[in-house]
Amino acid sequence: MRRTFPAARTRRVLASAVLLLVSALWSPSPVQAQTAREILEQVDQLLRGESSRGRVTMSIATEHWARDLEMEVWSLGTEHSLVRVRSPAREAGTSTLKAGREVWNYLPRVDRTIKVPPAMMMGSWMGSHFTNDDLVRESSIVDDYDFEIAFEGARDGVEVWEFELIPKPDAPVVWGSVEYEVRKDDMMPTHVEYFDESGELVRTMVFSEYRRMDGRLVPARMDVVPADKPAERTTLVYHDLEFDVGLDESFFSLRNLRARR
Amino acid sequence: MSSDALWWRVAWRNLWRNAHRTWITASGLAFGYFASIVLVGLTDGMNAELVENGTRLMVGQVQIHAGDYLPERNMHRTIGGYGGTDVESLLTRIEDHPDIEHATPRLFGGGLLSSGERTVAGLLLGVDAEREVHVSTLLATLDEGRLPRGGAFEVVIGQEMARQLEAGVGDEVVVVVPAADGSMGNDLFTVSGIFQTGTPGIDRDYAVLPLADLQSLMAMAPGRIHEIVTTVTRSRETPAIAASLAAALETTAPEDPEPLDVKPWTELRPELHEAVALMDSMSFVIVIIIFAMAVFGVANTMLIGTFERRREFAVIRALGTTGSSVSRTVVYEGVMLGAISLAAGALVTWPVMVWWHRTPPDLSRWLRGFEWTGVQWRPVLRVEYSVDAPVVTGVALFATAIFAAAYPAWRATRVPPADALADR
Repeated sequence: MRRTFPAARTRRVLASAVLLLVSALWSPSPVQAQTAREILEQVDQLLRGESSRGRVTMSIATEHWARDLEMEVWSLGTEHSLVRVRSPAREAGTSTLKAGREVWNYLPRVDRTIKVPPAMMMGSWMGSHFTNDDLVRESSIVDDYDFEIAFEGARDGVEVWEFELIPKPDAPVVWGSVEYEVRKDDMMPTHVEYFDESGELVRTMVFSEYRRMDGRLVPARMDVVPADKPAERTTLVYHDLEFDVGLDESFFSLRNLRARR
Repeated sequence: MSSDALWWRVAWRNLWRNAHRTWITASGLAFGYFASIVLVGLTDGMNAELVENGTRLMVGQVQIHAGDYLPERNMHRTIGGYGGTDVESLLTRIEDHPDIEHATPRLFGGGLLSSGERTVAGLLLGVDAEREVHVSTLLATLDEGRLPRGGAFEVVIGQEMARQLEAGVGDEVVVVVPAADGSMGNDLFTVSGIFQTGTPGIDRDYAVLPLADLQSLMAMAPGRIHEIVTTVTRSRETPAIAASLAAALETTAPEDPEPLDVKPWTELRPELHEAVALMDSMSFVIVIIIFAMAVFGVANTMLIGTFERRREFAVIRALGTTGSSVSRTVVYEGVMLGAISLAAGALVTWPVMVWWHRTPPDLSRWLRGFEWTGVQWRPVLRVEYSVDAPVVTGVALFATAIFAAAYPAWRATRVPPADALADR
């Protein structure tokens, strides 16, 4: 029996939020003649130890329902993030904490924190098209994948790199391969395609609405579309984003997850 | 006296010329009958055990879903579409079918259960407990506690899930489940009971709560259910019953927007169906062997009997009896032998079957239960009556006796009177 677990969905969303954050933090430093690994490691380095806070709207459209969630997101490097739902009122306060490889949810209605069990990591986060696993994986891209530049040159008039990410043999990754396209001039990601082990496209993530927020250029909008249901999508739109907001690891604690702020 | 009656009398007397031999042959046939009936009864008993254990726990014998529910089990595909259905009237219509014993509605949700620091993924099953107990044995296996009461936020969980959650009766668990509106339904429930079915997957994965509670947790209207499970009067005829139920539901409610999918257990548990078919064919082969041995036994007796009477046949042939009359008397002997055997066999078999059916020997003192094709077996040798086995076996026994007499009868007509009388 196939199960659809809400909590798993929640994780997915969280993961996407984290990914979005990472993309947002991708800073436009000029890079020349580097290897794929070097480029991505540089990005990774840039993100480490860097904190941020932002407000984001997540819009989810499925065959059966559509909904918008207003959320506040904090992050510290790629290892820590905290997402708190602000509206709709019925779900306000629902929060997700990612700390390393663990994902926790806080449910204000029952005033409990729940650790997402391993079996649910592939489930959807908050009903979105992200999995809990997405939240966790994002922090280990450099460790889990081998990289190569699959394409370098102009595409639709824009100079891009396309990286092909192949999971390392022992990496706990569900994808067969990932294609990551980055604009050369400003290092902005444009889209990511996820393929399963037989090479079938599973979902596509598209970045757009590049804007300067708190002095940095970021893609303010990200759309995730599952390949088998092209009519469905999850959209994340950042309304504001601040960097270096002075958070440390203690902020990303279970106690703070429960604090209804 | 007609000539036919005369040949019957002749055959009857011939049969008792050597009463010993006749009794031994009849005993052989009677024992063949006994062995076949008991074997078929035992096979039927094992099959019934297999089907009951394989279907009674959860699956039921006929399941009804919305046409597009299986195999994905998408939570939105409820019976009657998004609007749901009038569950009570649908259940009444189903139970009106003469071969349906009981029916019960169910709703499924895949979610999380959490207690303290522990969280597990679980399958939430919403049931109408009063109806469910007539259809499945799941709730009858409560190890501790009691059934969940509706509206009281109570849940019963499997024994392995309870162990993983470190939760006992009276403890609180958080239940989280994706709701139909995209939100995350979540609430605090109290564990009212713990079931232990012995089937590891069920004891680990299932949490059972009142249907209405799960519906509200999943933001679903009271008319929305995923499944109706029924038991039938004769489990072996389930496919036919399912087909007739499907036809009946179509005619009584042609206005239903969504076609219903009515599936018998033979389709829901095909491996179980195949196991039953395998057992049946094995017992069929053994019955054939038993009868083949009986055929040769009877043929042998009759052949010796006719050889002994070579001179006799020669005399009556010489006196003007036709060959067909001679062979007729031999065949009549076979018929009467068959009748005697059948009577003796039935007389012995019936009380044994009745006794065995009522008090099946329980071998659990020597044997432990085992699992086959995912079904838990009790070490109990039970037999089931079947309607057709005694009749079919009886006819087969009769045919055997007559068939076995055919060759000796043909031989008897071939006795050349002159040679036989001259002892040549």
